[in-house]
Amino acid sequence: MKKVLVACGGAVATSTVAANKIRELLKVNNIKADVQQCRVSELSSKSDGVDLIVSTAKVDRDYGVPVIHGLAFISGIGLDKTKQQILETLK
Amino acid sequence: MNILQYILDLGPAVMLPLVILILGLLLRQGLGKSLRAGITIGVGFVGIGLVISLLTENLGPAAKDMAERFNLGLSVVDVGWPGASPMAWASEIGTVAIPIAILVNVIMLAFKMTKVVNVDIWNIWHMTFTGAIVSTATDSFWLGIVGVIIHSIFVYKLGDWLVPVVDKYFGLPGIAVPHGSGTWTAPFAVVIDAILEKIPGIRKISITSTKIEEKLGIIGEPAIIGSVLGLVIGFLAGYPFSHTLQLAIQMAAVMLLMPTVVKFIMEGLMPIAEAAREMLDKRFQGQNLYIGLDPALLLGNSQVVAASLLFVPLTLVIAILIPGNQVLPFGDLATIGFFVSYAVGIHRGNLFRVIISGSVIMFITIWISNMMVGVHTKLGLATGAIKSGQVASLDQGGSPITFILTELFTLKNLVPLLVIGIAYLFSIVFMYIQYKRNKIYSDDEVEGEVYESTSIGR
Repeated sequence: MKKVLVACGGAVATSTVAANKIRELLKVNNIKADVQQCRVSELSSKSDGVDLIVSTAKVDRDYGVPVIHGLAFISGIGLDKTKQQILETLK
Repeated sequence: MNILQYILDLGPAVMLPLVILILGLLLRQGLGKSLRAGITIGVGFVGIGLVISLLTENLGPAAKDMAERFNLGLSVVDVGWPGASPMAWASEIGTVAIPIAILVNVIMLAFKMTKVVNVDIWNIWHMTFTGAIVSTATDSFWLGIVGVIIHSIFVYKLGDWLVPVVDKYFGLPGIAVPHGSGTWTAPFAVVIDAILEKIPGIRKISITSTKIEEKLGIIGEPAIIGSVLGLVIGFLAGYPFSHTLQLAIQMAAVMLLMPTVVKFIMEGLMPIAEAAREMLDKRFQGQNLYIGLDPALLLGNSQVVAASLLFVPLTLVIAILIPGNQVLPFGDLATIGFFVSYAVGIHRGNLFRVIISGSVIMFITIWISNMMVGVHTKLGLATGAIKSGQVASLDQGGSPITFILTELFTLKNLVPLLVIGIAYLFSIVFMYIQYKRNKIYSDDEVEGEVYESTSIGR
């Protein structure tokens, strides 16, 4: 069971879009994962034991966990590449 | 007419699921998906109702007691954007605002009045809120629609002007952030930046910090903000210790639960948002336009994070200092970054300037939200978001654009209307001139702040 944190500014709008798409992606690829949303400000306290952080906001801090910029889930540009990165990180 | 009234009387938790179900079917999303989206949005409304009553029924009386004991004001709780957005969606304007805001965008694009293709459907709630407040204040549905239209035009234009900041400072090429409340702060920041630039000595002061997040990170945690405020207010209200502790945990719960329940409203809107996005994508692809997205994208920048942390206590201090202010900042504190993110970009990450312009922005926000308590409460009661008492919100109840439109139609607070109206108009004109002179974020100044490292997907 992998753990994925999906972060954005307020943990409502963009992270919901990204989290739903990530859940679908993982389901299709048979990866069992717990996908949770949070605010960017909560990342440092929630990053323990997490396998991957996907943030729609650009974070420039190191959390000791792989971080993937999830802007593509919102804008649609470069989506396949981002999906590929997520799958590679979680495999 | 009776049928319409009957449906409206069912309340937003039943009415909106019906609207979403019908819209979903019209957009060919299938019965299952549409039904699920509809029920989910209803769940969101039930959830936010529970959380808002947890907030207003517990923090409300405590704030009143505190206000009476210390002669402080601060008796009306700010429910924040998680509390204000459901009121907007549940209003009469809410059911028609999304197509109107999109239509305004499409018309502006067709006439080349903007380069922003706004696919950020969720944040149309800001324009909706303006419409709902205007229509509540004037008792006119159509003036409310006018409010939605004007606010939308304004936001898309500001989105255009701020593209250089989003591109060069935040490193997000091809993107605009035409946000209903984040963008209104920018004209003030542009003016203040120009003034500070002219003062000898002051113009040289520059603070950037990566340490603030490491050292103060904890005060930005929603659970900490909630519990500390609960403790302090319970204590100042003269509550017994046991009761104070209970209040602290209740307020931590409010802070953590708010986004969790509002999320369901967002999930319910997704089929519509996706359909709208696809339509806009198809229609305006490859025309050298900017995609309009949520300001949440700006909130990860380390200087924005630092500024957000500084403005948690600063906003509370400002609220105490404003004479006659009744609004107790609460719901928006955890995401105060939305108010200062553009200022951070405009000041190139210089926190010294951000503190100055941010203080002005928060002063105006709290001042306005205090004047809007009456009509905000009326909207809250009408939409069933609250059952009694009073409400306020900084986002969007403290926005000058909402305030100016409402006051222009009602003329109740003439002096503040003139002061805020003239100051804001001046700032917008000044910002437009700076934009035309390519000076909002020009390349000829220091370029040290441009982030290169994390372009899309890497």
